[in-house]
Amino acid sequence: MTAARGLATKREPQTPHQFEVCIVGSGAGAGPIAYELARAGIDVVVLEKGDWYTEQDFVKDEQLPRHRVFRSRFDEERHVLELPDGEGGWRRETTAQFWGGNIVGGASNFMSGYFHRLKPTDFRLASIYGVIPGSNTVDWPISYEELEPYYTKVEQLVGVSGRVVQHPHLEPRSTPDFPFVPTVEHPIAARFDNACEALKLNPLPMARAILSRPFNGRMSCEYSGYCGSYGCHSGAKGSSRAALLNHAVASGHCRIIPRAKVYRLNTDSKGRVSSADYFDAKGESRRIQAKIFVVACYAIESARLLLASTGEKHPKGIGNRHGQVGKNLHCCAGGTGHGVFKLDKLSAETARGLKQRGPFFNRALQDWYVIDDKAAFDKPVKGGTLDFVFDPPSPTSEANALKWQEGNLLWGTPFKQKLKAHFTQSRDFKFEVFCDWLTHDECFVSLDDEEKDKWGQPVAKVRAGFHPHDLKVAQYLIDRGVEVMQAMGADEVWGNVFSDPTANLVAGGCRFGVDPRTSVLDPDCRVHDCDNLYVTDGAFMPNGGSVTPTFTIYANAFRVADKLLGRLKQA
Amino acid sequence: MATEYAFESGLTRRAFLAGSGAAAMLLAAKPQLSWADTEFSITTRPQGFDVINRAIIEAVQLHLFPDDGDGPSAKDLNAYRYLLWAIEDPDNRIDEDRQFILQGAAWLEDWADTQRGRSFLVMSWEEQDALLKEIAKSRAGENWLSLLLYYLIEALTLDPLYGGNPDEIGWRWLEHQPGFPRPKAGKSYLDF
Repeated sequence: MTAARGLATKREPQTPHQFEVCIVGSGAGAGPIAYELARAGIDVVVLEKGDWYTEQDFVKDEQLPRHRVFRSRFDEERHVLELPDGEGGWRRETTAQFWGGNIVGGASNFMSGYFHRLKPTDFRLASIYGVIPGSNTVDWPISYEELEPYYTKVEQLVGVSGRVVQHPHLEPRSTPDFPFVPTVEHPIAARFDNACEALKLNPLPMARAILSRPFNGRMSCEYSGYCGSYGCHSGAKGSSRAALLNHAVASGHCRIIPRAKVYRLNTDSKGRVSSADYFDAKGESRRIQAKIFVVACYAIESARLLLASTGEKHPKGIGNRHGQVGKNLHCCAGGTGHGVFKLDKLSAETARGLKQRGPFFNRALQDWYVIDDKAAFDKPVKGGTLDFVFDPPSPTSEANALKWQEGNLLWGTPFKQKLKAHFTQSRDFKFEVFCDWLTHDECFVSLDDEEKDKWGQPVAKVRAGFHPHDLKVAQYLIDRGVEVMQAMGADEVWGNVFSDPTANLVAGGCRFGVDPRTSVLDPDCRVHDCDNLYVTDGAFMPNGGSVTPTFTIYANAFRVADKLLGRLKQA
Repeated sequence: MATEYAFESGLTRRAFLAGSGAAAMLLAAKPQLSWADTEFSITTRPQGFDVINRAIIEAVQLHLFPDDGDGPSAKDLNAYRYLLWAIEDPDNRIDEDRQFILQGAAWLEDWADTQRGRSFLVMSWEEQDALLKEIAKSRAGENWLSLLLYYLIEALTLDPLYGGNPDEIGWRWLEHQPGFPRPKAGKSYLDF
């Protein structure tokens, strides 16, 4: 296909139906908007690039993630990624790593659903800790208190299971506890609790966006052990699709158009968005009109769409008057660690317990959410969260990793013995460290000059530089995780800090704020100089908090949905 | 020496990737093979591996995963038949694995001939083992074995639906607990 073919022309037939609100994307930032508006009787249309699947499609087959069945294909769509080359320059590659789930419901179909709220401190990093030189840290234009009711709403509507435990960094809550009791716990959790108590730490049951009992037409968790990176068969996982979009559609006021790839927002002489152009399943360009547009197609892609949508009033792209679109992108800084337990060293009963698959580890530590340790930092700094988790089962990938021994290929009986020992004689437990990825001038999205997607559109280029402060914080937290694993009696323990961007959990790029010169969105997540355009995925976040951002994306989208309801009711 | 040259120069894309890690860039640079004319499903039966190549590859697979009294052998895993099926997968066809595997079998025979003056197939187990260790010292040789092992592992741990791991023999040996619901005909990864 040539670049020009399929692009909209002036004479193009337009979709006759008039929608009040058009939403681009269907993940965590889109679902709450569609849900709230449709249920209030407002006609919304959701344009999703990928296909529409249901619970029945989510079989537990390692081939699905291996062949990236639910994600955009590298040969059709990719990103240009620029990483530090270690010599002060940048090395350029192309990647499909940022596609976290390109179907109705987006990446929320494949999340693990570790749902931590942000804390009041995350909204005021600049005021509390000061701006670290080289970073672009700002305070949020809203407070934790303004978002709190929406966290509560997510817990109830999307379904969050957990148990509140008092600890020094617990954020204020308007409800005493989660609406759903915790999911079933793995025996390792008790071992973890004992180790933490010995270390005088506060082991926390981790809240999960997974139903522990049936709710709203969804079944409770089946404990197949194939959760994160796999689609949920029972509907227990609180994906945007299962928890929200299905109900929005059932209301009769929400239409989802799958395989609709939006490539441009058209603006009128006043600078307002008049229509969206998308490629349909056949690759033909179609146009859709609405009164209000909401973009929520993943931080990188939302910035790309705004940058690609130039117009008379928006010569550099919508919202980009001050060159802010795509800027201040952030990932989750941190790293991972492992503790390996040799089962033959344990009692038969303990070993049997550790081998169980199905129940969740579900433990977290937030003792170092703020680090006040003069030995490491001369003043208090923002720290982070340690999540103790199981990697999703992928025996084929695990076995393949074992075939290398000190750089040489291992085969024959020695390889078989290594495989057997790994699978039957040991158990690997993992922890993940989440800390802030400081925003700065070398982490941003722009349009690439060379690479095009299969529709002939310029792809997003992600420059992903990191701030050295993040590595220092991450290392501090990795060391604490290693200490916990050791206290648990792991036979082998190690941890690594990452400076590469996370493949998922990317946010920012259209941050919200009061000052149009340093932000793209106003406090309601409306584009500063475009009255009828909102961005409601993770792009709005000035910083990600030291947790996975999905919970906050959901909560904020519910907050914006309320603003939209108010606006539409007035009109 | 001609044979050695063949090993050293015969780097396929995958062979090169093992060293460079730049998977994405190379895939982008490489022209896409046309596979649209071939229907690929879980019942596909590819042609073209003759009796000699089959014997060589089955023998090598047995060295990679021998019948050593502990766990299934390559033969028990149905590894050869699985390999023939899996290399026709559209992604794997783009990687040109089929060509590389056939080429490697020819190289192995060449090497056996020039080094020992005999076919790999008539050698004793110990002689075959020594020869495989020799070729593993070259990068292409190691990559060839690694690719065979890659598919063999798939035959060990993927769902039996795909032709390996018959009766869950691999899972039972590794005490692996599969998830549920399992894939079935009409719900394989090729059906999405």
